[in-house]
Amino acid sequence: MNDLDQLKELLFGAEKQALDSISERVERREIRTADVADILPEAIHQSHQKDGELVESLTQPVGECVQQALRDEPETYADALYPVMGPAIRKSIMHALRNFSQQINEAVDNSISPKGLKWRWQASRAGIPFGEYVLQKTMRYRVEQAYLISRENGLLVDHVHHESSIIKDSDAVSAMFTAIQDFVKESFSPDRTGRLESADMGDFTLWAVHGPHALLVCVIRGVPPKSLRADLSAILERIHFRYGDAIREYKGDTSTIPDVEVELERCLQFEAREESGKARKGPPVPIVIFLLLLVSIAAFLGVRSWMYSQQQDKLDAALNATPGIYVTKIDRSGRNFAVRGLRDPLAMDVADVAESLDIPAERLSVSMQPFQSLQPEILAERAAQMFDKPESVDLSVSGTTLVVSGEAPSAWRQTLQSRFSNLAGIDRLDISGLQASDWQQFADRVASLNNRKFFFQSGVDLVEGDQDKLREFASELAKLLDDARDLEYPVSVTIRGSTDSIGDAGANAVLADRRATFAARVLASAGVDARILRQPELRAADGEPRADVSQRYVQIDLQPESLADLP
Amino acid sequence: MTPLTSKVCVVGDFAVGKTSVVERFVTNQFSEKYLSTVGVKIDTKEIDFPALGLKHKLVIWDVAGAEEFGPREMAYLRGASGYIYVADGTRSATLKAVERLHSQISEAYGSIPCVLLVNKRDLKPDWEVSDERFDTLATNYDDAYRTSAKTGDDVDQAITRLAELIIDNDIRGA
Repeated sequence: MNDLDQLKELLFGAEKQALDSISERVERREIRTADVADILPEAIHQSHQKDGELVESLTQPVGECVQQALRDEPETYADALYPVMGPAIRKSIMHALRNFSQQINEAVDNSISPKGLKWRWQASRAGIPFGEYVLQKTMRYRVEQAYLISRENGLLVDHVHHESSIIKDSDAVSAMFTAIQDFVKESFSPDRTGRLESADMGDFTLWAVHGPHALLVCVIRGVPPKSLRADLSAILERIHFRYGDAIREYKGDTSTIPDVEVELERCLQFEAREESGKARKGPPVPIVIFLLLLVSIAAFLGVRSWMYSQQQDKLDAALNATPGIYVTKIDRSGRNFAVRGLRDPLAMDVADVAESLDIPAERLSVSMQPFQSLQPEILAERAAQMFDKPESVDLSVSGTTLVVSGEAPSAWRQTLQSRFSNLAGIDRLDISGLQASDWQQFADRVASLNNRKFFFQSGVDLVEGDQDKLREFASELAKLLDDARDLEYPVSVTIRGSTDSIGDAGANAVLADRRATFAARVLASAGVDARILRQPELRAADGEPRADVSQRYVQIDLQPESLADLP
Repeated sequence: MTPLTSKVCVVGDFAVGKTSVVERFVTNQFSEKYLSTVGVKIDTKEIDFPALGLKHKLVIWDVAGAEEFGPREMAYLRGASGYIYVADGTRSATLKAVERLHSQISEAYGSIPCVLLVNKRDLKPDWEVSDERFDTLATNYDDAYRTSAKTGDDVDQAITRLAELIIDNDIRGA
């Protein structure tokens, strides 16, 4: 080393060492690699935090790496993904199954058998859909034994069973199952990917669930539900998750896989029992009582509902048969009825019709619109009201004819005859059966005034007293004739003059006429219409001529006209 | 005692006495009746190794006899921890079959503990395998025995020896 070098050493010794060290780091690849490896995680972290450029840069190469690795070692990735993919796929399938279960639920919703009701109640208590519960109840099975078998060598990893199960040499069973599995695969699966997944043997079913390194074989008594396979798969996945590597390396030393029995025993929890022996003899007494009560209530409600329904039909029929009522609808709500329709004000009250069927008014709600009925009964009633029908008269309607019978005053008949056409639905009147109730009284009055005689002393001089009597008679007759006119019973008045037999017959005839005329004049003065007077028949006294006072008179006869035509 | 279970396969030509050997070992009895094995038959036998503090259970796969194995038989052998090759001392051709099977299995599954049993030692007058040939053959296996399933000679010893070899290989070697 010369002086210059020594000087350099003195002046820049430390810096030179640092430069050498840096130079060595730059030149030696392994040091550079170590340096990069040292800072790479932090650098990636910082870059990722900073922006998305790192992700963008790595996307393509990493993607290609994964694709290449999957192509080269698909089984390795499948094994690695098995514990993750299994639950994910199962979850998806369970979701689909739940929907299916919901559909079953709806399908069996209408089941109302006693067992169905009982299950519905129990499903509701358990908080699970009814369809799912039915599936559970209708499948009877029990996992009797479970074998965990190494796929590599067929050795039994572990075996669990119920105490009651009959157990053969489980190692031999395990080996034989593996042999059969190999036999089936080699014999019947051309590409050797087929697997024996189930076998039936009388009451037992053998189910095999395959994992990457182990096989779970369960001996099941009865018919298991399909969902059990998913449960068993979940257990096998869990076993792989915890013991996958140990099972792969398994050479028959069970100590290398501790506590796997605990996992395996979960298989034995899957079972769906028949009802217990006691229960099989019949349902519990409270349930019987409850069911009987339900049946009784249902029967009572059914009978009551039937009775009310019958009552409704009867009410409907009765109302529709009642003149003047037209029912459009009867609604029933429990024991109450709501009636709607049309009702003529003259018709019977709806409540009265219901009352006749033992339906009290409080169970009735009536909403009737008024209308005019043309039913015969209502027309007759309307006519009776309109004309103030006497009790002695009967009214009825036949077609459009009002038929009147019985007895009534003539005035009433006249009113009826003049106004019957005002009644809607009536265009004819039949009064052939109607008699005048006041005729007899009138006839009696006529009789009392009929055949009256007024006597004369001589000429046209009335005997004392008869003059007044004639005037009173004339007054009464005038009243009678007035009434006869009102009643339309025409009455004719005949006055006959009479003389004794003394004297000339011709003179007597003149005298008789004069006497009749005299009487007629008196009657006319009382207002008796002169037109009704007639010239009396001249009449001479018969027998021996003598001066007989009793022959000197006028006789006034009353004759009702058209008497035969009167009712 | 720690339990250990191993898969052992018994292979060999037709009618060399494989099933009889297994039956002798497993039940300590011998059936005169020839059993035509079809496919595979499974037996188990537990051997105590007090010195090792170990109970070794052998699950014995008695594979149907064949001069050469097809895919189905090869599938049966997968994962075996040991092999029992059985030949018939009165038929030298069966030794050749064993040789073929040995090489076929070794090629497929690698070097695995195995013992050779040249069986039917009780039929000495008909014996076709010379001592030299036996010794030569024995070098290809971890051990070799002249056995008789009928009398039980060396059957237990041979299979127990295989069990030990398996322990050495699987447990101690592991």
